[in-house]
Amino acid sequence: MSMEDYDYLFKIVLIGNAGVGKTCLVRRFTQGLFPPGQGATIGVDFMIKTVEIKGEKVKLQIWDTAGQERFRSITQSYYRSANALILTYDITCEDSFRCLPEWLREIEQYANNQVVTILVGNKIDLAEKREVLRQRAEDFAEAQSMLYLETSAKESDNVEKLFLDLACELIREAKQNKLDNNDTAPMPGEGKTISYLSCCSLN
Amino acid sequence: MAAEDLPSEFDVVILGTGLTESVAAAAFSRVGQRVLHVDRRSYYAGNWASFTFSGLLTWIQQHHEEPLPEEAQDWSSLLEEGEELIHLSHSDCASIRNLQVFCFTSEEDEEEEAPNTTEEETGGAAEDSECADSTEEETKETGEEEEEVREEEEVREEEQTTPSAALRQSEPTKKKISYAQLLKEGRRFNIDLVSKLMYSRGSLVDLLIKSNVSRYAEFKNVTRILTYRDRQVEQVPCSRADVFASRQLSVVEKRKLMRFLTSCVEETEEQRAYNGRPYLEFLRDRQLGDNLQHFLLHSIAMVTEDTPTEEGLASTRHFLRCLGRYGNTPFLFPVYGLGEIPQCFCRMCAVFGGIYCLRHSVDGVVVDRDSNRCKAVIDSRGQRITCSHFVVEEGYVAADRKRVATPTRFLSRAVLITDGSILPSDSDQQVSMVTVPPIAAGCPAVKMVELCSSTMTCMPGTYLVHLTCQSVGSAYEDLSPVVTRMFRTPESHDQETCPSVLWCLYFNMTDGSGLEAEGHNLPSNVYVCSGPDGDLGHELAIRQAESIFQKILPEEDFCPPAPNPEDIIYDGDNTSSSAGGEEEKEENDGVAEEEKQEEEKEMLEEEKEMLEEEKEMLEEEKEMLEEEKEVLEEQNLQTEE
Ligand SMILES: Cc1cc2nc3c(=O)[nH]c(=O)nc-3n(C[C@H](O)[C@H](O)[C@H](O)COP(=O)(O)OP(=O)(O)OC[C@H]3O[C@@H](n4cnc5c(N)ncnc54)[C@H](O)[C@@H]3O)c2cc1C
Ligand SMILES: Nc1nc2c(ncn2[C@@H]2O[C@H](COP(=O)(O)OP(=O)(O)O)[C@@H](O)[C@H]2O)c(=O)[nH]1
Ligand SMILES: [Mg+2]
Repeated sequence: MSMEDYDYLFKIVLIGNAGVGKTCLVRRFTQGLFPPGQGATIGVDFMIKTVEIKGEKVKLQIWDTAGQERFRSITQSYYRSANALILTYDITCEDSFRCLPEWLREIEQYANNQVVTILVGNKIDLAEKREVLRQRAEDFAEAQSMLYLETSAKESDNVEKLFLDLACELIREAKQNKLDNNDTAPMPGEGKTISYLSCCSLN
Repeated sequence: MAAEDLPSEFDVVILGTGLTESVAAAAFSRVGQRVLHVDRRSYYAGNWASFTFSGLLTWIQQHHEEPLPEEAQDWSSLLEEGEELIHLSHSDCASIRNLQVFCFTSEEDEEEEAPNTTEEETGGAAEDSECADSTEEETKETGEEEEEVREEEEVREEEQTTPSAALRQSEPTKKKISYAQLLKEGRRFNIDLVSKLMYSRGSLVDLLIKSNVSRYAEFKNVTRILTYRDRQVEQVPCSRADVFASRQLSVVEKRKLMRFLTSCVEETEEQRAYNGRPYLEFLRDRQLGDNLQHFLLHSIAMVTEDTPTEEGLASTRHFLRCLGRYGNTPFLFPVYGLGEIPQCFCRMCAVFGGIYCLRHSVDGVVVDRDSNRCKAVIDSRGQRITCSHFVVEEGYVAADRKRVATPTRFLSRAVLITDGSILPSDSDQQVSMVTVPPIAAGCPAVKMVELCSSTMTCMPGTYLVHLTCQSVGSAYEDLSPVVTRMFRTPESHDQETCPSVLWCLYFNMTDGSGLEAEGHNLPSNVYVCSGPDGDLGHELAIRQAESIFQKILPEEDFCPPAPNPEDIIYDGDNTSSSAGGEEEKEENDGVAEEEKQEEEKEMLEEEKEMLEEEKEMLEEEKEMLEEEKEVLEEQNLQTEE
């Protein structure tokens, strides 16, 4: 592997009903395109984009649902090590908004306590078909202490902002945590965590 | 979400999301097969699942309820000429039985009272008397046990006035975690139904690495191997460093152990002479002494006294091969529990296009009478789904399709939440594998795994202890004697230093190794996956998944590496994983070669170190002998004088 060329690495995970535009948001941000038809690419696990924020290199690892949300069958392990969650609904689809509490329950069950959650209302280019008023979504987000943003993956509205805002928030939290945990030395004898098992022994 | 219809044609339909089924799903999807993977339950992994505390209570409740009478739906309108339907089973309760739950901690937080001697000396007595033995989901049997427990409790309370307890007055009282706290912090628990470990060179770890599924999980080392012997918990020296540092072993024992382990790496004539005879006999004849014999038999080979020598040696070699790959013991454990592993394979399947649907089952298999092959399945909503192959978890196969030739065997399981480690050490974050030899003749050998909170399977301040053995009686009958000896429960006596059991669960589960995979009367393109077995490793499940895959696709690679997302080149809309898979391979080979050389170098260095240490030992011995000689000579002189 090459020299790790970044200051921060964050795992961002997208959730929300099928068809709200999660895959399109990821592809718009990472590849700058709006794919026609179903956006998912077979065999692609997550996408990477490195951005620079105030001179610091931030590598974003963005995970999509792999279609498992279609029949409400997302694996718990999908949520486990996420630093941030993008909870997406479609502003032209009331039903996708009404499902949000269900998604929040999953988050509460399986995601890390410190996870940053942002609510995203997508497809604002379809303003004439809007079914969920902005105020309603803002109130909901505030009540759940989430950030809120409206986007269009199609017109590339606010997509860059969505990921950059998240990255800023994650850096802020990371710095805060470092301050808070300054004096907690690692436990002696604590079994070290081995992620990404590889073929050579990791010592 | 409204009931969206499933596509009506797949290559492989898989029912059940246990480890075997999930590995098979990933393997098929990875090579381009269209996979539909469903499970009747609302959670992944079936009998391999792990649960939060409240999730486990729900699971317990579900298994106490009488299964609804199976009412076969009439799907005959979906059948064509020459077809018939094999109905699948609806209830999955058959594989779990004898559930018993005990709660030995107080229901609610207690008021902090001024420490009171009487209460202190009895430890949990006050709490015990108001203890909520068995939660609501209590069985008849539990009721009986409860009474027994109570009786013993009374006896103990009468004995309280003995002065010996006063000695412990000064000990600070640790406030016991209440049942209410366990519930409140319930999501911090990930309690596995199955208790296994991953051998660091076992087939599961190899597969995780080969397929890149390992990127979905994190692992921790098991930090120590313990054994229960003469009513004491002892640490088993594992690595070379452990052996040298061990205070339990004498210098002579250390040398004997080293020699023995070195000698068993290669098969010899001498070993072959013992084929068919017990490993214990082989060990005895090596004159190792009781200490070493116990370690080698129970903790390193992990076999019983009558295991044949060749098997014992094979286990010993496997253990040695696995040492030192990732840590000081041969084992790894997945963070958040074993239930993560099947889910990771499911994710891999989904990434390659597999469709997932929990809370959804298959009601029946459509069989063509002439060819006796499965043509389609009918799902629980009455949709007919065409498929070329059907893979199904054993539990869904109706009893009339099982050949009863192999009697069903069971595993006995216990899960304890305790308030301390069975062998406290400098760190409270140890992950321990504990071997418990039969505590009396006729009792089963018990495998125990103690997990700390950093494995993300239990709340801070508690330990999660899993016990497993082949069942002789019910799980309670098999395992409670071990629990009572090694932990403090209302039934145990004189065990003030042992950790207390706050809550525990006993149950029996069908032993997957007892189920012949071919022991079913089903079409040849229906493949049955047996559930979890009692072995410590995952060999059976992986072997079974691979064999199903190879029966269907003998030419294809089993779980080839998924491309690394960082290597994928996006080229407009045509995404390709770094053009030449060949190039990548060559590069990998280069790396592998280098690694190999590196490893060899390390090995040589280690061997050198070992020899040096041995030299030191020999020198020490020499010195000792010389001293002895001097003493003897002096004595000689004196007698001469
Ligand atoms: C109580 C105990 C003592 C051990 N003492 C040693 C030791 O002194 N030296 C050592 O290298 N490993 C020792 N091991 C095993 C050792 O920790 C690992 O097996 C080692 O890290 C090899 O890892 P591997 O699987 O990569 O290599 P393997 O392919 O298993 O073996 C690599 C090399 O190590 C040698 N080796 C393997 N096991 C032993 C052994 N038990 N004793 C001596 N040589 C061995 C082999 O002959 C080979 O040359 C001991 C294990 C135990 C349980
Ligand atoms: N008009 C409009 N359509 C969008 C937008 N984002 C996604 N879509 C469309 O919504 C459908 C579902 O998008 P997809 O990204 O696959 O949703 P996912 O299931 O959440 O991943 C596709 O047909 C997209 O073209 C958007 O911002 N505006
Ligand atoms: Mg999508």
